[in-house]
Amino acid sequence: MQDTYDKVVNLLVTRFDIDPERIRPDATFEELEMDSLFLVEFLLIVRSEFGAPVSEDAATPQDTIARAVELIEEKLVRTPGS
Amino acid sequence: MNRAAVLTGTGSALPPRVVLNDEIALRTGSSDGWIRSRTGIVQRHHATRGMTTSGLAAAAGEAALKSAGIGAVDVVVLATTTPDQPCPGTAPAMATELGLSGVAAFDVSAVCTGFLYGLATAAGLISAEVADSALVVGAEIFSSILNPDDRSTSVIFGDGAGAVVLRAGHAGEPGALGPFHLASDGSGRDLIAVRAGGTRQRLAPEDYTPADRYFSMSGKKVFWRAVQCMAESSRAVLARVGWSVDEVDRMVCHQANARIVSQLADTLGIPRSRCFTNIDRVGNTAAASIPLALDEASRDGVLRPGERVLLTAFGGGLTWGSAVLTWPSLGCGDANDESVRHEMRRP
Repeated sequence: MQDTYDKVVNLLVTRFDIDPERIRPDATFEELEMDSLFLVEFLLIVRSEFGAPVSEDAATPQDTIARAVELIEEKLVRTPGS
Repeated sequence: MNRAAVLTGTGSALPPRVVLNDEIALRTGSSDGWIRSRTGIVQRHHATRGMTTSGLAAAAGEAALKSAGIGAVDVVVLATTTPDQPCPGTAPAMATELGLSGVAAFDVSAVCTGFLYGLATAAGLISAEVADSALVVGAEIFSSILNPDDRSTSVIFGDGAGAVVLRAGHAGEPGALGPFHLASDGSGRDLIAVRAGGTRQRLAPEDYTPADRYFSMSGKKVFWRAVQCMAESSRAVLARVGWSVDEVDRMVCHQANARIVSQLADTLGIPRSRCFTNIDRVGNTAAASIPLALDEASRDGVLRPGERVLLTAFGGGLTWGSAVLTWPSLGCGDANDESVRHEMRRP
């Protein structure tokens, strides 16, 4: 879980230029100024780089980072070989 | 050696009026920063009233013919989403403007994938010995169908035209086109659309709402499908030609949105530095975007002879496709001659 959280933080910092100081597990994407278009991009990266087969509407800007990490973990567990 | 279509010239044209983000931001309640961060676009060109797609296409076509060092071709293919009028096609008017009355001329409608569909069609006509040469143009006056109050589209799209000339040659030589990969999915037809004016929503006043005469796009769904479809198509065409991703020297993809281009490059594992982009300067010019980018990249020396080039696009329909070629050595022709471009200007 911590590993996935760290990867998500790294993704938000490197791809979306978000200040790491602002990222907390209970911060929502909206609070990080990640609107729905950015979220689609985030989910595409989760698919291609984390290997987690999430759908385009798997998360909303109102979801927290912790919720997104949970979602990714769930998808990874359900995907054999990932 | 198998007969094949070989790229032998490029050209482009842009209307002179530059529209900066601030001008659109004022009307749509966005800002220069908002537009740049979400699309990578800094400016786009808009045609003035009176300019036609056939005129813009002819200016790009004339530059491409000069670049190829020839005066005529056997067939003219025009990819456009914004024809001069719904009927007839725009290609015959464009051909006549170029002094090519009498040659085969027709439009291809595949929105942002239109140029690649047209290129594949023209290459097929040459391979099948229907024609020995072809002019393939992508041209758009997209500003003519944009809803000025729709922030999701009016900040993205711009006007422009790009063209290439093909001649008959053989499959192994530089510039030989192919293989291609083309695909479609009509279940997504409402994601990118002008809803009114056809048989689904006729132009009888009681049958349509005025907003439906404008272009509309579901940005999030398009982003999602575009990256995955272009990646899948690119892998398919690379498998057909037998190139690994590492062997791609340059990717010129449809300039949909700078973030889509970056995400596509990352998904494929192609370094972003190998992806040519000009979307910051011209916006998304739909069917014109790939030939406009090819002409600019070639003239600026970004595309060099011998480089292995991957072309890929995604657009309304839904449609998507890819093609590969080894970039040829192109004659300079008079492509930089400003007089060629009439009232247009070079990118």
